[in-house]
Amino acid sequence: MKILRMFFLELKRLLQSRLTWLTVLLTVLSPAAGLTFFCPATASTMHSVYLANPAMAGGAAAGILFGLLSIYELDRVSRSRMDMLMNAAVSPMSMALARLMALLAAAAAALALTMLVWLPVTWQLVGAVFSGTDYVLAYLLFMGLALPLAVLAAASACQFTHRADLSLVLFAAFAGLSLTVWAGNWQLCWLNPCVWALSDDFTNFRIFRSVAYMRLTWLAALAGLWAASWLCIRQYGKGLLGSLARSARRIYRPAVALALLAAASAAYVAQPFVDHSNPDLTVMDFYEIPYAEGVVCTGRSAQVFPDTDAGTVAGRAVYQFQNASGREQTAAFGVTPGYTVSSVRINEEEAPFQVSSYQEFNEAMLEITLPAEAQAEVAVEYGGFPQESRSTSTMQGHAEISAGYLCLENASLAPRLMNVLPDEGMYPAVIEITLPVSMTVIPFCSSEAELAAVHEDGTATWRYRYNSTGGILYAGDYIREDIEAGGITIELYYGRKHQEVMEAAGAVEAVKAVADYCTEHYGALSFGTGETLKLIQSRTAGGGYAVDGASLLDEADFTAANLNDSGKGAAAGEVMIHELVHQWWGLGNMFDTGDGSELWSAEGLTVYTTYRIVKELYGEEYARKNYVEQWRRAVDDYYLDFYVRHPEYLEMLPEERQLEITNNLMYVRQYCEMPLKILKAERLVGGEEAMDRILNGLFNRELDPMYPYLTYQEFLDACGLDGEDLNLDENISI
Amino acid sequence: MTKIFRYECRRLLWNKFFAGFLPVFLFYGWQVLSHMTIRGVAHTAPFSPWSYGDYLGRMLPLLWIGSLFFLTFFTSGRARRAAALTDAAPISPGRYALARCAAALAGTALLALACAGGAAAFYGYYFGWRQWGGLLLPSLATLVPPLVFALGSGWFLGRLRAWLVYPWMLLPLLCRVLPIPEALGLWNGTFFTEYPLTLNGLDPVFSLPAAVIAAQVLLCLAGAALLAVSVAEGSQ
Repeated sequence: MKILRMFFLELKRLLQSRLTWLTVLLTVLSPAAGLTFFCPATASTMHSVYLANPAMAGGAAAGILFGLLSIYELDRVSRSRMDMLMNAAVSPMSMALARLMALLAAAAAALALTMLVWLPVTWQLVGAVFSGTDYVLAYLLFMGLALPLAVLAAASACQFTHRADLSLVLFAAFAGLSLTVWAGNWQLCWLNPCVWALSDDFTNFRIFRSVAYMRLTWLAALAGLWAASWLCIRQYGKGLLGSLARSARRIYRPAVALALLAAASAAYVAQPFVDHSNPDLTVMDFYEIPYAEGVVCTGRSAQVFPDTDAGTVAGRAVYQFQNASGREQTAAFGVTPGYTVSSVRINEEEAPFQVSSYQEFNEAMLEITLPAEAQAEVAVEYGGFPQESRSTSTMQGHAEISAGYLCLENASLAPRLMNVLPDEGMYPAVIEITLPVSMTVIPFCSSEAELAAVHEDGTATWRYRYNSTGGILYAGDYIREDIEAGGITIELYYGRKHQEVMEAAGAVEAVKAVADYCTEHYGALSFGTGETLKLIQSRTAGGGYAVDGASLLDEADFTAANLNDSGKGAAAGEVMIHELVHQWWGLGNMFDTGDGSELWSAEGLTVYTTYRIVKELYGEEYARKNYVEQWRRAVDDYYLDFYVRHPEYLEMLPEERQLEITNNLMYVRQYCEMPLKILKAERLVGGEEAMDRILNGLFNRELDPMYPYLTYQEFLDACGLDGEDLNLDENISI
Repeated sequence: MTKIFRYECRRLLWNKFFAGFLPVFLFYGWQVLSHMTIRGVAHTAPFSPWSYGDYLGRMLPLLWIGSLFFLTFFTSGRARRAAALTDAAPISPGRYALARCAAALAGTALLALACAGGAAAFYGYYFGWRQWGGLLLPSLATLVPPLVFALGSGWFLGRLRAWLVYPWMLLPLLCRVLPIPEALGLWNGTFFTEYPLTLNGLDPVFSLPAAVIAAQVLLCLAGAALLAVSVAEGSQ
């Protein structure tokens, strides 16, 4: 009760200080920095630009302000040389507790005021896609939790050092590290969380969970640090160690501090959001596992039960094998890190299994020993919170699972068979997924999902069939629009909240233009399962992918902000263009990346074709500036990079640093250098029309069923060139 | 005079502040070197004068804060209260102020040396690179003008109002986020990342354009002038 009374007195005193009100005023104004010069979220969605950036800027600025206010306030008594008197009247430890509570209360009031002031502003700026839930969570997590962290850090520094100057330096260095060196480490950037995008059309719970986890880890660490520093508060004229020895007599005090620090360390080490995949992206050990001899998979099925409240998945997958080898064989499956395999049953009997601690490309390996019997039915029960790949740890949010949106890719849908060949029927699969009845289920393939059952608890079970070892599934509040283009029907799926923007941006016309362009220039697509192609809008992901019969469209392709960008035209849609073009280059025509040229892949021709379409849609100037000049710059940067020119210095670095550098450089060759080479080839063969004739010929060539790939040599032969001709030793001009 | 200088140096450097500041400063420097400088800037080596200059630019805010904190030993309210005693000492106030000024400069130089020493240790440890002579010019160009200016302006402001030194500590941080003229690119680090790209050839020799030299010289002169004014006022 005494502490509570002191807290109210201290809060009252704090609120009478002009410096406190100045801090509150600056806190309320601080989100404006996120609209001007502090913009860590790079995505172009409305929530990223007008909500995430202001909230994070507010968090960073207000955190620093409240940290400084804390140091000023905690040093006040000592500065005015009243500490002896004060300590005689009140226990300095009780006083420190009351001051901390008062500072935290003032911070909470400042946050509440900021949220009230910025609510109408954000609503106005974000427009039709504004979400109240996102607003509250963004301000509470991105901004709000920065304030107690800053107060605790500053107060700890004060209590340890007993000096305002040293506390200021410690706090400045701690904040400076977060804003600069640690900004790319999602667990360390305590002041400015790694948030690159917030979705407008779908939910953002995964990224909110990640930020909350990071902030709560730091909260435990700094609360532990504060508790330790609290024991060091100078009393009875003793120094740091003397005071510590005296305060620690009550054993629960250091025990609480240690427990908090231990909890923070455990939370840091055992974070559930990002996997431990091999950081070397050139290693593909899982693809080199030998196939189980004499074993074929004749079918598989899976029942998947996502928990849309907890963001987890539970499932049961069943695989049928025929073992003609007459001996035991090992079947390997890819499992998403974060999932736990709870049981494996073979022919209804419990069987041993092991999951590797080694992870690669967001998969761990589950190994099961198949019996020597001719038939084996393997049932795997799995479930958990899917982790995202460490290589994209600063771009989290991809593994969103909620009642508004869900994306399960390959091993996160069901364990992916790695080393067993199919029988004649390929890998026939039946997938059943149970989700809230409001969600539309869209398999990312040519199959259609059908409603199998509606349950009383407000969920429904959907079923679909297809042929593959993996599989991708999207679900959410989608609407569908059918487009006839290029002789096929394109089923365009996009979020209901996006309808207004899609109509205003002319998305249908843009999709039609791309399909018509590719059909006209290279030839018509054909699908084994019918003349339809799905184009599915994903939650903002910064990129996309395509499979036979389905391509992705990024939410950021068509945003209200793009509508006002006169340079781009009404619709940018460049991820959509790229992924749609992959239906021609990459799927319609497959590429052998192991043909000796590390540059050659589907990406070269796809990026080149995207450039040509963008040039036709948005003009030559836009295409040159945003494609050719950017490729040139990236390629120049690559070849001029110090470590590319002097690999001997790269070898001197620790492996972790080497991988950081090489991974950053890797994409340039496929995505920038090869398109530049194709552009050079275009010039050498006589221009765009000549190149279109060559590509048309390549697309429609007669395929060798034993080796259906398009090789770099075939491309060069068709152009009448050799590799030397395409060396980039002179400027490319268009 | 030497005795007072030594005494003031001891006051500045043999205390809890310096003992706490130095490890924090070195840790921060190592983090910058091992996460950012290691990539090199403008296609140059991590140990090129340009990358080293970029490192110094990133360390400048902490160096600035450290040197201003040195000044608080002389400008704080507590120091002013003690001035009644020191003024009564049998020594010329001008020489006393000069000795203090020299001590502050020595303390700041020591921090700058620690900063450079950290980089030298890093380059030796990772790359076995020890041609430190080439880093002298970027060190002088990057650190001397702002630190002289920090001492001069800080002392001047501290004499006006002791608390003014504290908001003044934010200046280099503001320079890093607000748009400033190109000639002051050394202050926000853009000079080291952008200027080498405008020079012909790979791994260009370290050089400064006239505008940057002029800005740095002016800054240094302004700092020295403010220091002289403060010392002169202190001697009255």
